[in-house]
Amino acid sequence: MTAVPAAAISADEVRSIVAAVLDPEVPVLTIDDLGILRDVTVDASGHVEVTITPTYSGCPAMEAITADVTQALGDKGFRDVRVRLVLAPAWTTDWMSDAGKQKLLDYGIAPPQPRDDTTVRLTLSLRCPQCGSPDTRELSRFGSTACKALWVCNACREPFDHFKAI
Amino acid sequence: MYGSDFTPPGDTSDDTPRIEATDLDAQFQAIIDSDGKIEPRDAMPEAYRKGLIRQIAQHAHSEIIGMQPEGNWISRAPSLCRKAILMAKVQDEAGHGLYLYAAAETLGADRADLLDLLHSGRQKYSSIFNYPTLTWADMGAIGWLVDGAAIVNQVPLCRCSYGPYARAMVRVCKEESFHQRQGFEILNTLSHGTTAQHAMAQDAVNRWWWPSLMMFGPPDDASPNSAQSMAWGIKRFSNDDLRQRFVDMTVPQAEALGLRLPDPGLRWNEERGHHDFSPIDFTELFEVIKGNGPCNKSRMEHRRGAHEEGAWVREAAAAYADKAAARAAEAPAA
Amino acid sequence: MTELSASSGHLSDSAHADKSVYALRLGDDALIYAQRLAEWIASAPQLEEDVALGNIALDQLGQARSLLRYAGAVEGAGRDEDALAYFRDERDFLNAQIFELARGDFGFTIARMLVVSAYQWELYSRLQASTDETLAAVAAKAVKEVDYHRDHATQWTLRLGDGTDESHARMLAGLDLLWPYVPELFETDELVTTLATDGIAVDPAALEAPTLAYVDAVLTEATLTRPVTEVRHTGGRRGLHTEQMGFLLAEMQHLARSDPGARW
Repeated sequence: MTAVPAAAISADEVRSIVAAVLDPEVPVLTIDDLGILRDVTVDASGHVEVTITPTYSGCPAMEAITADVTQALGDKGFRDVRVRLVLAPAWTTDWMSDAGKQKLLDYGIAPPQPRDDTTVRLTLSLRCPQCGSPDTRELSRFGSTACKALWVCNACREPFDHFKAI
Repeated sequence: MYGSDFTPPGDTSDDTPRIEATDLDAQFQAIIDSDGKIEPRDAMPEAYRKGLIRQIAQHAHSEIIGMQPEGNWISRAPSLCRKAILMAKVQDEAGHGLYLYAAAETLGADRADLLDLLHSGRQKYSSIFNYPTLTWADMGAIGWLVDGAAIVNQVPLCRCSYGPYARAMVRVCKEESFHQRQGFEILNTLSHGTTAQHAMAQDAVNRWWWPSLMMFGPPDDASPNSAQSMAWGIKRFSNDDLRQRFVDMTVPQAEALGLRLPDPGLRWNEERGHHDFSPIDFTELFEVIKGNGPCNKSRMEHRRGAHEEGAWVREAAAAYADKAAARAAEAPAA
Repeated sequence: MTELSASSGHLSDSAHADKSVYALRLGDDALIYAQRLAEWIASAPQLEEDVALGNIALDQLGQARSLLRYAGAVEGAGRDEDALAYFRDERDFLNAQIFELARGDFGFTIARMLVVSAYQWELYSRLQASTDETLAAVAAKAVKEVDYHRDHATQWTLRLGDGTDESHARMLAGLDLLWPYVPELFETDELVTTLATDGIAVDPAALEAPTLAYVDAVLTEATLTRPVTEVRHTGGRRGLHTEQMGFLLAEMQHLARSDPGARW
């Protein structure tokens, strides 16, 4: 891969390179689908600044994502890259794209529902991502990663992860 | 799976259900033959159902016993970033265990019964977890070699004939590959760190290499359960094929790490297009499976201890649920 | 958007130092608590709890890292999160003692989680409005996470308090053991009142009534009562700890200190 003169590439093109980086914990989603990619800027000298935010404070993937973003840009000839980690405004599942939610569903994870601040943890009925039945129940509020809970479908018996709304 | 679904030669306690042609009705075999998926409510031969429950349960048991050797190092992780990654990894394993027990329950099993089988020693878990984690570098070696071997074993299961297990494996494999990468990064940092750190990394690879190769099970000519698993579309490749795939994948990674794999017989064979490696001493594996590995006793004692110590908590939860149900029944209907 | 670096504000040197100490107090609370909670992983009463307690520990560790990083940045002496976590001695740790108490049984664990998560929820929900952008940002994330912790502790308090005779007795014993360490959470001193006046910190004294109101409501529903005791143990904010702290730090720090120049 030859280095591309920075000026020849628009900010949109740079953003699309970064946006395609996958989240290591839910690797069917890009960091853009997940809504943790907050900003990409390119200045006149070709310096790229990427702003990301963690889903949870304890997210163990931020270092890996930083490395992957740097690598993806480096592969396209961008060597002057800085990845900034910001906490505010705090990430919410409302930032997940509709395409991202569909990818989750296809992968077998029930996507987050829109948040309703008045009933934060009221157990709403979820549709089973496998058979579509609304006859489901929560097995464990905490799942294999911080963002997920474990549910099971009473109709087809399939266990499934639910991406919790926060 | 983690590759514990085999028994030492001469072990007569094997309860593996045997294939019997009369068990298989035409419809079931047709689904298998056309590479279709068996779903929980489909008719299936009893031996298929039992065999799968056993395999999924052993996989789940391996996830929860596997929390111990790594859990050991959470309190001592040498940086907060590594501590967070390790904590998340062990949580992930518990989550996979939970998911797999739920998958076994789709076949009519009950998690409490399966745990009893584990605690009484009637079901096994992967022997790899009967080795001790002696230094921090073991966290790297487990991630790189043990998780790497587990992925090679599990990827074919993504196409296994039982739908819920196959779908679970798709997600588990993707999550495991993040673990493997993290293990590689630990070793990479150590290998290129101080002299003491490099030595620590090499020592860990020396200790974990052969046990990792044994995770694929005995050679094909000594693997009693393989044929029926293949016929049912549960197993897709032989132990030796998968082991070879793992060796070929790992050799260049070791070079990138700057670490030596402890086998003087390891070399590229141009003619075969694969790496040759020295014969594996399976007597050690069979000793570990028989219960004589360095940590068999302590792993099981820890597991049983946690379970027994938690009995009053589970009883309280059950009692509270009963009371809540009774109160709900008494309350006037809304 | 707020990055985890010191904002060059109009504050005096001493106000900067105070802010660093405040972040360190909250960060040490979360770090030491994470270390204790993580002891449950692979030892919990059921698999769901291995997952839940691991998750809660990870949240606390994440909050600790943000706060320690910020404390180091404000201090300006070049100490990062690991320098602060691994290379300070016991007398320099500023966590309240309640966080360092030995793991105990599941009853004690839930008693502590109920009080601590209720306290942290009240704290972080107010700290979101801090005039310090970074503290406000850390708090805004933390409050969502602590909300789950508080809910988890609430549900288990109900199950254990109103479960069996044994679980009821164990919850009472856990609360008895815990209670002398609760008042320290609400202690105030000149440093924190000054910061609170500037809108940077939350005065812990203001958190006592709402925290205890929440705890009391849960205890009542769980058929439990709050212990009555005049005994108070304190000193953590001044670096005075229980004997249990030294063992915790020895285990946490030994590897990092064994090869001090090394990267891990």
